[in-house]
Amino acid sequence: MADRFSPVAITGMGVVCSIAHAIPEFTNAIREGRHGITKLPVDENHSVRIGALVQDFGWQGWVESLKSSEPGIYARARKVLKNTTESTRLSAYVATQAVLDAGLGELGDAADEIGLIVAGSNLAQDYIMQNWLRFRETGRPNPRYALSFLDSNQVGCLSEILSIRGPGFTIGAAAASGNAALFQAFHWIRSGIVRRCLVVGACIEFTALDLEAFAILGAACSGRWQDDPARACRPFDQAHEGFVWGQGAGCVVLESLDSVGGRRIQGELVGASLVLDGNHLADPNQKGEIRAMQLALNSGDLNPGCIGYINAHGTSSPLGDRTECAAIKSLFRDHLANVWINSTKSLTGHCFGASGVIELIACVVQLNNGFVHPNRNLDSPIDRELKLVSVKAEPLNAKYALSNGFGFGGINSTVVVRKGLTS
Amino acid sequence: MFLDKEKIFEVVKANTLKVLPDLVAEDVTIDKNLSDLGANSVDRVEVVIYSLEELSLKVPTSELHGIRSLRALVDLLHRHALSK
Repeated sequence: MADRFSPVAITGMGVVCSIAHAIPEFTNAIREGRHGITKLPVDENHSVRIGALVQDFGWQGWVESLKSSEPGIYARARKVLKNTTESTRLSAYVATQAVLDAGLGELGDAADEIGLIVAGSNLAQDYIMQNWLRFRETGRPNPRYALSFLDSNQVGCLSEILSIRGPGFTIGAAAASGNAALFQAFHWIRSGIVRRCLVVGACIEFTALDLEAFAILGAACSGRWQDDPARACRPFDQAHEGFVWGQGAGCVVLESLDSVGGRRIQGELVGASLVLDGNHLADPNQKGEIRAMQLALNSGDLNPGCIGYINAHGTSSPLGDRTECAAIKSLFRDHLANVWINSTKSLTGHCFGASGVIELIACVVQLNNGFVHPNRNLDSPIDRELKLVSVKAEPLNAKYALSNGFGFGGINSTVVVRKGLTS
Repeated sequence: MFLDKEKIFEVVKANTLKVLPDLVAEDVTIDKNLSDLGANSVDRVEVVIYSLEELSLKVPTSELHGIRSLRALVDLLHRHALSK
C-alpha cells in the first residue's frame, strides 16, 4: 500500500487532435506553435463556423497496422470498432498507443488489476443527432444505436479491445472531466485499489446545435473571428472572445511505482484535486480555482514555490481567462516571476473533457524536453505581471508543472506533475 | 424487383460477411444458425436490419426477435417481399 504522498508513475501516453496523431508529432507541433483551427463545413447563418478538427484519421488503416505486431488487439479492434461512434474509435486509438508506449501490449493475466476511466460525458451528440435524422427518415436507428449512444459503451469497447478487467466507468465533469478522471485514478492507485489505470480523455462530438447554444451563452467564440480561424483562439489576449472547440483524445497509463519494474517513467502525477463551487452556472469562481490549485499542491506535499510551469485552463473566454489570472496571482504571489504560463488550447482548441488528459501530456513533454510552447495569438496580454509565454516558445528548466481544468457547473480540478527521471 | 429466396439469401449472406469479418464466403450456408457462425445478439440484429434496408422491406420490429437461422430469416424476408 502506497503512502499518503506517494507519486503515481506515468508510463505511457497517446494522443490524437487537430495538430498531431502521435506523441512525437504532438511535441514538435506544440513547440512550433502550430494550430489546427479551420472553418467548419456549416451554414453561414450559424454563429460558430470554426473549430479544430482531427484531420486525416482513418481507423481502419490504423487497425490494419496492428495486424502482425498485435494480432489480438487487431482482431478485437476490427470487430468492436466496425459500427460505433467516431469518438470511440479515437479513444481506442489513443488507448492502444498509450498501452504500447508503456511497453504493456497484450495484458494477459495482469488485466484483472488494471482500471479504466473514460473522461467526458455526452460524447455521442453528433451520433445521436444523425440517428434521430435516420429514424425520422427510415423508422429505424442504427442497429447498434442502443449500445453506442451510451458514453459507457466506450468503457466496454476499450475493455474488450485491450482485455481490461479491473474497475472502470466514465467520469463527467464538463471541461474538467479529464482532470477529474486523473484525480480518481490517482487515488485508486495511491490507495492500492489498482496497480495500473488507463485514463482516456474522449473526444466530444459537438453538433452545430450545441455550438450555437454555447455561443448564446457567450462561451463559444462567435463574432468577428469567424472569418479568421487562425487568429480566433487567443487565451489571455485582450481580443479573446470565447472558446474554439477542438476535437481530440488523449490517454495516459498510470501505475504505482512498484509495478513499473524496469520500464520508463515518463513523468509522475504527484498531486490532484477536485472541488465544487456550489454553483450550477458557467461562471468561473476565483476562490474555487485557488482551492483546487492549493489542494492539488497539498496532496503532493508541495508549495507554490515548487512549480515552474502552469498549463492554464485558458479557454480564450474573457471572464474565464481573467478569473484564472487572478486566482494564479493570488496563490503564487512572490513566485510569479518563476512560473511560466501557457494554454495548449491556443493550439488544439478546447478539447473539452479530453483537454485535461491532453494537457497533462503537454506538461510531460514540455518538462522532459525543456521548453514551454507559445501562447498563440497573445499579442496584447490581459495581464503584465504573469509570466505568460509569448508567441514564441521559451526554454524551461523546471521539475514540477501544474495543470488546471475548470468546468461548467463550478467544477474545479487541478493536477500536479513531476518531470520524468530521464528524458 | 422480384425477390426470390435465392436473391434474398445472397443479400443476407453478404451482410453476414460484412458483420462478421472473420468468416469466409463458404462458411455462410442457408442451413447455419447465425450464432454458430459467431454472431452475438447484436450482430444478429445488424444482419437483419442491413438486409431489410438493402431489400427495402418493412417488417415490424416484434417479428424480428428470436430469428436464429439464416433459413428462418430468408423465409421471413421472402414472406414480406411477397406481400409488398
